[in-house]
Amino acid sequence: MSLRWGELYSQLISGARERKELISASFELTARCNLQCKMCYVSHSVNDLKTKAKELTTAEWIRLAEEARDAGLLFLTLTGGEVFIREDFKTIYEKFMQMGFVIQIYTNGTLLTKDHVNWLASIPPSKVSITLYGASRKTYQEVTGYAEGFDKTIRAIDDLLAKGITTEIKTTVIQGTRYEFDALLDIALQRKLQLGIVNYVSPNRECSHSDPVGNRLSSQELLQYEIHMSEREQQLTAENIKDITKITDAVTEEVMPAKLDVVRLKDTPALAFPCLAGTSAAWVTWDGRLLPCGLLDIPETNPLEKGFKAAWEELKNKCTLIPVCKECQECKYQSLCEHCPARLFRETGYYDQPAPYLCELAQSRSVYKDRMKA
Amino acid sequence: MKIRDGFMLREIAGQWVVVPLGEKVVEFNGIMTLSQSGALLWQVLEKNASEEDLVEVILKEYTIDKETAETDVREFVSIIREKNLIN
Repeated sequence: MSLRWGELYSQLISGARERKELISASFELTARCNLQCKMCYVSHSVNDLKTKAKELTTAEWIRLAEEARDAGLLFLTLTGGEVFIREDFKTIYEKFMQMGFVIQIYTNGTLLTKDHVNWLASIPPSKVSITLYGASRKTYQEVTGYAEGFDKTIRAIDDLLAKGITTEIKTTVIQGTRYEFDALLDIALQRKLQLGIVNYVSPNRECSHSDPVGNRLSSQELLQYEIHMSEREQQLTAENIKDITKITDAVTEEVMPAKLDVVRLKDTPALAFPCLAGTSAAWVTWDGRLLPCGLLDIPETNPLEKGFKAAWEELKNKCTLIPVCKECQECKYQSLCEHCPARLFRETGYYDQPAPYLCELAQSRSVYKDRMKA
Repeated sequence: MKIRDGFMLREIAGQWVVVPLGEKVVEFNGIMTLSQSGALLWQVLEKNASEEDLVEVILKEYTIDKETAETDVREFVSIIREKNLIN
C-alpha cells in the first residue's frame, strides 16, 4: 500500500502519459535573477521593473495552481529566474504546499539565508535543486558576475543538508566551467551527493545579456568533457564509489526521469516530444503563458484567460501538430543524440530540422565509441 | 475514527494517492497509494466513522461476505493507524 516516492513516481508518470493527463509542471515564478550568467536562456535583471510589472501576481499564481491541481497536476517545480527574489515566495510556496503537490525548488542558492533554510525545514519540499556555476569564486565571477555567489551557494547547500532537506546539486557545462568537473565532483562527493551534469546549453528563449551559444562547448569539447567524466567514474567505481554523476536537463529534469519515458508507446501516434512535454507535462512562464516546455515559446495558450484546464487541452492539441523530425528518426546516430522538438526549434527555428550542433555531437560520440571498441 | 487533518486524497492518473500537506510532510515523509476500496474507506473516514460503518460501506459496494469485509477493514484501519493517519 505504501511505496517510496521513487518507486511510485515511475508508475504515476507512465500512467499519466498513457492517459494523456497532466501530472508534472514547472511554474517559472519570475524571469528575473540576481546573477547574470553568460549562458542563461531566460533571465532578466533583478531590477528590471518592466519585467517585474508583467510577472503574475501572488493571487494569479495561486489561482493557476488550484486550477492546475484540479486538472491533475501532482509534481510541481518552482523555477525562475531566481525564485527567492520574489518577495511573496514564502506566501506562494506555503499556499502551494497546502494544495496537495509534490514540490521541488530550483534555485541558484545565493539568496538562501539560514532563516530561509529553517523555514523550509519546517515545511520541506521534496527536493531543493541547486546549480553550481563553478568550483571557485574566480569561476563564479567569470560565469555569473558574482564571486561571493560561490561562498553563499556552498553555505546554502550545507545548511540545507544539515537540516535534512533533500538537496541536489548540478552544474552547467560551458567554457567557464569546462575544466572544473573534478573540483565540482569533489564538492559533491564530500557531501555524499551526486553531481548532475547539464550538458546541453540551449540558445536563448529570452534574455538580453547572455550568449549561450557563444559560451557553450563545441561538440568536440563536450565529447572530451564526457570522456573525462566517464574516466573519473570508472576510476571511482574501482574504488567502490558508484553513481557519482547523472546527465540532467537544465530546464526540467523531472519531465524525463526514467528510460521508460523515452520509449515511445507502441499504440500511440508518433508524438514529436520524446518526453512528457505537451502530453503530461507543461510549463507556465513568469508572464502567464502555458507552454509544453521552458525552452519553447510556441505553441502557447493562455490559462489566465481560458482557465487552466481549457488552456491545457488546447495546448495538448497544438502539440499533436508539431512535426516529428524524420531525418532524426532515421539517423544511425539517434541513440547517441538528445534531440527533441524544443532543442531542434531553438537550434534551427524548425521543429523537424536536424540541428548541426546535436548532429556533430552524436557523430563524435559514435566515432569515439567505435574507436574504443576497436 | 477520523482521518487527521493535513492529508489529501487525490486521484492521479487512475491511481489513488494520499499526499501530506504543509508541515505534515515532516512527519509523513512519502506518498501513499490506496486501492479503490482503500480510497472509498478513506473518504468515509474523512467524515468520521466506526469500523462497523466501514464494513457496511464495503458490503454495499462490493459483493463479498461480511467476514472478509471485517478482516479487510481491520487490516486497513490497522495500517493507517500505524502510520498515524487517524485520530
